Amino acid sequence: MTTETIPQAPAPVQSRGNRKQARRNTLIGWTFILPNFIGFLAFTLIPVLAAFALSFMEWTSFSAPKWVGLANFQRMLASDSFWIALRNTVVYAVGHVPLTMALALLLAMLLNRKLKGIGFFRVAIFFPYITSLVAVAVVWNMLFSPDNGPINQLLHSIGIADAPGWTSSSDWALPAVIITSVWKDMGYYMVLYLAGLQAIPTELYEAAEVDGASAWQRFWNVTIPSLRPTTFFVVVMLTVSSFKVFDLIVVMTNGGPGRSTTVLSQLIYQEGIGEGKFGYSSAISLVLFLIVLTVTVLQFKIQQRRER
Amino acid sequence: MTNMAEDLKAEAPFGAGTALPSPTGRTNRSSREKKARTTDYVIYGVLAVLVVALMVPFIWMLSSSLKENNQVLTVPIQWIPSEFVWSNYADIWTRIPMMGYLQNSLYLAVIITCLQVLTGSLAAYGFSKVRFPGRDVLFLAYIGTIAVPWQAYMVPQYIMMQNLGLTNSFNALILLQAFGAFGVFLMRQYYMTIPDELCEAARIDGLSEYGIWARVILPLSKPALASLALLTFVNTWNDYMGPFIYLTSNRLWTVQLGLRSFVGQFDAEYAMIMTGSVISVLPILVIFLIGQRYFIQGIATSGMKG
Amino acid sequence: MKRRTFAALALAVTTSLGLSACSGAAGGPAEPQGQNGKTVLTVSVWNYEGTPEFKALFDAYEAANPNVDIQPVDILADDYPQKVTTMLAGGDKTDVLTMKNVIDYSRYANNGQLQEIGDVVNSVGKDKLATLDAFDINGKYFAAPYRQDFWLLYYNKDLFKAAGVDDPKNLTWEEYAALAKKLTTEANGKKVYGTYQHIWRSVVQAISAAQNGKDQNSGDYSYFQDQYNTALDLQKSGATLDYGTAKSQKTSYRTMFETGQAAMMPMGTWYIAGVLQAKKDGKTNVNWGLAPMPQKNDDGKVNTFGSPTAFAVNKNASHSDEAKKFITWAAGEEGAKAISKIGVVPAFQSDAVKDAYFKLDGMPTDDLSKKAFTPDQTALEMPVSDKSAATDKVLNQEHDLIMVGEKSVTDGIAEMGKRVKSEVLGQ
Repeated sequence: MTTETIPQAPAPVQSRGNRKQARRNTLIGWTFILPNFIGFLAFTLIPVLAAFALSFMEWTSFSAPKWVGLANFQRMLASDSFWIALRNTVVYAVGHVPLTMALALLLAMLLNRKLKGIGFFRVAIFFPYITSLVAVAVVWNMLFSPDNGPINQLLHSIGIADAPGWTSSSDWALPAVIITSVWKDMGYYMVLYLAGLQAIPTELYEAAEVDGASAWQRFWNVTIPSLRPTTFFVVVMLTVSSFKVFDLIVVMTNGGPGRSTTVLSQLIYQEGIGEGKFGYSSAISLVLFLIVLTVTVLQFKIQQRRER
Repeated sequence: MTNMAEDLKAEAPFGAGTALPSPTGRTNRSSREKKARTTDYVIYGVLAVLVVALMVPFIWMLSSSLKENNQVLTVPIQWIPSEFVWSNYADIWTRIPMMGYLQNSLYLAVIITCLQVLTGSLAAYGFSKVRFPGRDVLFLAYIGTIAVPWQAYMVPQYIMMQNLGLTNSFNALILLQAFGAFGVFLMRQYYMTIPDELCEAARIDGLSEYGIWARVILPLSKPALASLALLTFVNTWNDYMGPFIYLTSNRLWTVQLGLRSFVGQFDAEYAMIMTGSVISVLPILVIFLIGQRYFIQGIATSGMKG
Repeated sequence: MKRRTFAALALAVTTSLGLSACSGAAGGPAEPQGQNGKTVLTVSVWNYEGTPEFKALFDAYEAANPNVDIQPVDILADDYPQKVTTMLAGGDKTDVLTMKNVIDYSRYANNGQLQEIGDVVNSVGKDKLATLDAFDINGKYFAAPYRQDFWLLYYNKDLFKAAGVDDPKNLTWEEYAALAKKLTTEANGKKVYGTYQHIWRSVVQAISAAQNGKDQNSGDYSYFQDQYNTALDLQKSGATLDYGTAKSQKTSYRTMFETGQAAMMPMGTWYIAGVLQAKKDGKTNVNWGLAPMPQKNDDGKVNTFGSPTAFAVNKNASHSDEAKKFITWAAGEEGAKAISKIGVVPAFQSDAVKDAYFKLDGMPTDDLSKKAFTPDQTALEMPVSDKSAATDKVLNQEHDLIMVGEKSVTDGIAEMGKRVKSEVLGQ
């Protein structure tokens, strides 16, 4: 992973002075990282590694773990529930990530201006994220109500006779959850984009306008490239949080109807602390981790290629 | 001068977002002002519609907090309470030690946020502006752990904390949450947008790396610091599972645990839960209104010019 | 300058908060400390404030044993088993563990996390404790039940009177369904449902297993057929609230019954304490009565199902002997008296306790209500087995699909069998 773009000019380490410089840099780098790293190592990394080790064992949390090799993984690959949850998680991520990202960026640009009362509007956009999940679930389920919900009434009025059953239908429950989660999360990511937009030098827009660039061209040639580091962060965080989605699904559909909205982290929770099969649940989380890692590395590479 | 520039900038994203006719060439100032004003009106219109769409569940929450408990989850949904039960807002302080819970939440959120912002922005500097071998692999390990759901490692983590004698204390949660990878990642990405020439110039001026971090980078990254602080605060404030697992004594409980204590084995007191939720949103609003002031255009640019 | 003041302010706030929080409690009730010479007994409980039976038991026990100080370890009801599991994994020393249901019990007991307390059970009297069989693991007992909830039919006497129908005596399921349809009315836009069947799978499955004498871990579920047909028929005819709506709107069964939106409601005995309290506080004026659950056969026998709650001693308990002494008391007659005073049904069977129960203020005293209280047979809601948790999950998911109408009853039942056999029983 040393391939990530580093804007600094690469300093070939050859001469003695340079080597000394490199050692000094390492030392300085570590002093910056250390305060966070010690806490991170002790309280996150070690337990995570322990959990990964458990995926090759059988452990009920009450007695000593027993080595079982790949048995947990074999069981997982043979399990319908795993594949259904994996499929649901991927579908959720594919829907949730681009939609949230696009809307968050749109909102951030809309709210990145000096207007009277802009603070109020920014807060309002953030509200879904801080509204009680129960309230979100009840109200959205009401909106999605198949017979007399406002959403289906609207669909009926524009001539769609066969409106979906949303949360009471296996086919439509996941889209309903995606819509709700996009609505809920876009304010959160808007905050990140809002911060990212502050870093774009105004001169870039001025220069572009002098060159006669249209608004669209300015957006495409100035805003988007300048936001690339923020976008990378947003995409990675969105991907990670989509693959880990838990709370909203538990409150809104609890995985139903049937298994149509069951996701991986629910499975991890149920199998692990719910039923005491910690080895098996760790195996699932190892797979989840590898998937997200692959996606993240791919995004790294894409970002790096773009910047070349 | 800056106003002009901001107007220009303000137009750009908006035009892109809603496909208004793009400004062609140079226009004179008065028509520009007129145009800006119309743009403002359109934006206000769009925002107003948006706000309503976003607030609906919150309004239900507010209305439920003013109902008798057995009137909350009715079919069909009832938007206006048949009878306003204002006493919910008085009762909640005595039904549960709400004040204590609020203080506990605030304590945790403030400490964790401060530590996260401080250590995160420090580490981010190391990951973005200092080159040393193994840096990117280490960074990847940071991001990687974000991808592991907490449900997967919370029991090993708990056993470890128990052996360290840290469970049932605020310290456990502070240590667990203050050193997360989130802040490091967020700040690193923001630092990447700050040109390295600035650091180089500072180095030539004789500033140490720590000096550059404190005097050049930090002032430039106010918007990112504000968003990191805001998001960390909100996440800590709203966290339920972490405090639930680590805080056993009732006197250590946070607001989110307090609210869940209205959920019984077979039913729940939703009116009280909604009342508490409304109260617990207020501190977040204050923090947000303070934090969002740092999302002002030009901070970064003006710094770079200098 | 500005930045500095802000930083100073933040620092000041942080430290003052730190001090106030460290100086204890931040306003919350401080944990009582063991006073001079008293033995401190810790008991894990859920939702201490909202579950008055615990306080009733502890206060009475402390009054009878002045040398003991009971400290509840208060855990939220929602995720109680998860927290207890985590605590135990960390080697927690809480003395008495409350078993919320038999599934958790079987898990802890089978994993050697609980002490054997056969002597406690013997001294209370094996024949006196309802559903004690549930706790028998190869002839050994690792917990003793103190509370025993079972299902019966709540009904709204006023709505019955208004419709001019008799009280629901000795109903079969067909009669119950017909009655529900008859009681369904709609006037002035207010709909009254003949009955409210809550979304829990037990409303269909556990009662069906109980009345057919079947085991829900068997992998064969054809006996659910009739019960599902009844449930779906009620829903289709509008005599009960639609399952999808009830689930997505998180409909509260208490709201349905206390606001007079449902004339009947099959529900557990735990709700007696709830409805008594609501009436006392003036939050409802429902004129309620109890009747036995509707039956499969009309032979006059009442079969229902229930779920006991029990106390167990932690393997790592600091005070094992004190813990056993407490459980002997709590599961016995004294404990039974203490909890029946607040409307909770004890596991300890005695006429004296039952009579005292019906003397509670606000309790319906008609014969039908009393009859409802003495079912002929009470099966366990879910068998005690290490398979129960996994089976429960599968049955829940398929229940969902049948009730929203995505799967036919036959297909759904077939799928349950197939999945339980392959995913749980490993056949």
